[in-house]
Amino acid sequence: MQQMPLQIGSQMVDLCAALLLLTCFAIVAQRRLTACVDLFALQSVFLAATAGLVAFLTGIHHIYVAAALIVVIKVIVIPRILKQVIERLNVSRELVMNVNIPTGLLICGILVILSCFITQPIIPIGFLLTRDSLTIALAIVLIGFFTMIARKKAVTQVIGFLVMENGLFLGATAAAYGMPLIVELGVFFDVLVGALIIGIYTHRLQDAFDSVDTSKLTVLKE
Amino acid sequence: MAWPLLLLITAPLLAGLGSLLARSRRAVEVLQSLLAGTLLIATALVVERVAARGRVSFGLFPEADALSAWFDVILGVVGAAGTLYAIGYLGEQLERGQVSLSRFRQFFGLFDLYLAAMLAALNVENVAIMWIAIEGATLSAALLIGFERSKAALEAGWKFVILSSVGIALALFGTILLYYSSAHVLGVTSETLRWSELYRAAQKLDPTSVKMAFVFVLIGYGTKAGVAPMHTWLPDAHAEAPTPVSAMLSANMLTVAVYAILRFKAVVDRTVGPEFTGHLMVGLGLLSIGVASVFLLVQRDYKRLFAYSSIEHIGIAFIGFGIGGAGVFGGIWHLLNHALAKSTAFFAAGLVLLRHEHKMLERVPGLLRQMPLAGSAILVAGLALAGMPPFGMFISEVLIATEAYAAAPVAVYAFLALLTLAFAALLYQVLRMALGEPVEAGRALGGRCLGFSAIAVLLNVAALVATGLWIPVQLGRLITSIVGIFGAAASLP
Repeated sequence: MQQMPLQIGSQMVDLCAALLLLTCFAIVAQRRLTACVDLFALQSVFLAATAGLVAFLTGIHHIYVAAALIVVIKVIVIPRILKQVIERLNVSRELVMNVNIPTGLLICGILVILSCFITQPIIPIGFLLTRDSLTIALAIVLIGFFTMIARKKAVTQVIGFLVMENGLFLGATAAAYGMPLIVELGVFFDVLVGALIIGIYTHRLQDAFDSVDTSKLTVLKE
Repeated sequence: MAWPLLLLITAPLLAGLGSLLARSRRAVEVLQSLLAGTLLIATALVVERVAARGRVSFGLFPEADALSAWFDVILGVVGAAGTLYAIGYLGEQLERGQVSLSRFRQFFGLFDLYLAAMLAALNVENVAIMWIAIEGATLSAALLIGFERSKAALEAGWKFVILSSVGIALALFGTILLYYSSAHVLGVTSETLRWSELYRAAQKLDPTSVKMAFVFVLIGYGTKAGVAPMHTWLPDAHAEAPTPVSAMLSANMLTVAVYAILRFKAVVDRTVGPEFTGHLMVGLGLLSIGVASVFLLVQRDYKRLFAYSSIEHIGIAFIGFGIGGAGVFGGIWHLLNHALAKSTAFFAAGLVLLRHEHKMLERVPGLLRQMPLAGSAILVAGLALAGMPPFGMFISEVLIATEAYAAAPVAVYAFLALLTLAFAALLYQVLRMALGEPVEAGRALGGRCLGFSAIAVLLNVAALVATGLWIPVQLGRLITSIVGIFGAAASLP
């Protein structure tokens, strides 16, 4: 009786994690900045769903708190801040990228294969329910990192960073059914403040450089 | 009783809050001077208690063992000196109308928050809370670096905030991986994240995931430590931040990042032996010294000069830790002396910047004659940083080299060659600034600024000379326990 729900539960967790990964690809393929923000919010919804599912299946209640915080901070607050920034800066599209979209998608595919390869040896020691999502978590972290490199606009780099953070949360949930509550609260607080500070910086960059194109930051050279 | 530990963490918070609320410049100055005194006293008490009892703890998380206490010494002394210096430096800018009174208060609010977060990172017995504290320090540092809001400062701040966010995210992934392997052994509780529990369970952890965790942590915190090739934010941030912040970044932020790596190294070494971490750290250390010594030689900006020198010295400490055994002693000794000397160098550089309002090295010769305080501070710090006796860095470099010779004879030739290059480059540049005839007059500095700077410089130089000549008993005890945490030296081919 215990065996069946566990198997179904494990597959549902995997499904949610896979949807998280899918939104990553959508973000990489999207030029419109507001759409990128919406996709990030969608990704956070999937993250909250994963966390809620893990909480339900394991009966560890503090993961519900984490899921609720994800909804409040990453689905509502941060996307709203980012949209305000985009509106004020009057940038809607990313026209020139360091890496074009098809190549970018190809690289992301390679990153997913790479993270499968890296996590293969350590998967067996994890908990049965969530252990496969560790691979996906690493893939999301790497894709977020890649987005920060591939895009030029400050706002998209912020989104890349937030995607990395989503990967980390998935990793924490997958690794050990979430970190202890106090840790998760601290991490959430840091993420929120970090997003605010990066937002402040984009405002100041716009004021000083008349642009949020980070390839124009060339005052400091060796 | 462990109240000094709590005092050490909360004093900067209270002083920062007080400064934000204070109405007058005088009130901020008094609060910050009190903070400097409190930091020194609390550090001394914590060291004394840890030396006597092995560890002190307070409540749930604040807990200091020998390694924490050692880094408390670095942050306590340099933090006190830096706070005093900041009063003088920002006060001078206030008198010149370059910052408003509200910005002056904001600066100290952020500065103290940064200090508190750094001290909290050192004194928690929990790998994840440490991460949260370091992230907090990163965020306050990001605002401090861009404080002057010039184009260059904003660019440096942006670079810092992006690179260190990525770094800190990777470090969190490493932390999660370690938790992943330890939760398997220790179960899902917050005990699982305590250092002492991790040390105890280390031999039962899964070797592959622990190795992987260390690689992520090394890249992540290594970015914050300014180790090559993740060092690119460092020269910009150090050059463009307000100078008291440059001094604190160099002396505190890099040091705390190395501390975090050491905590992980102690766990990983127990699981897979010291060779794995040893190879990685020695490799990155050599690369850092190599990169830094080239840029030291061609540097034309005196703040960037000292920034590259920081990369070099963190590299030297990395090699010491990588080798292990007596190399660990060399490493921690090196970090202490580097923090003291480098903050002194930045204090001097800040005075020169206030006077000349540019950072071009070749246009500020004759400092000894023109600015006796800054000139002599830069000379003393330069000699110490170059590794001349009687300063402590001579001892640590010789110790690391001899220990390295036993462990990895090939690496030691590379180490000594690069060290010689860096030595010559730094000494050449520092002597160019200190000696000769002044060419530009610049703006005279106010008496208050010089007074506070003189106290800060004297505090640092006194500690530098004292540690160069003898090791107090308490510090000696700390060193013995720290070397005990890390165990025997690695044998690196």
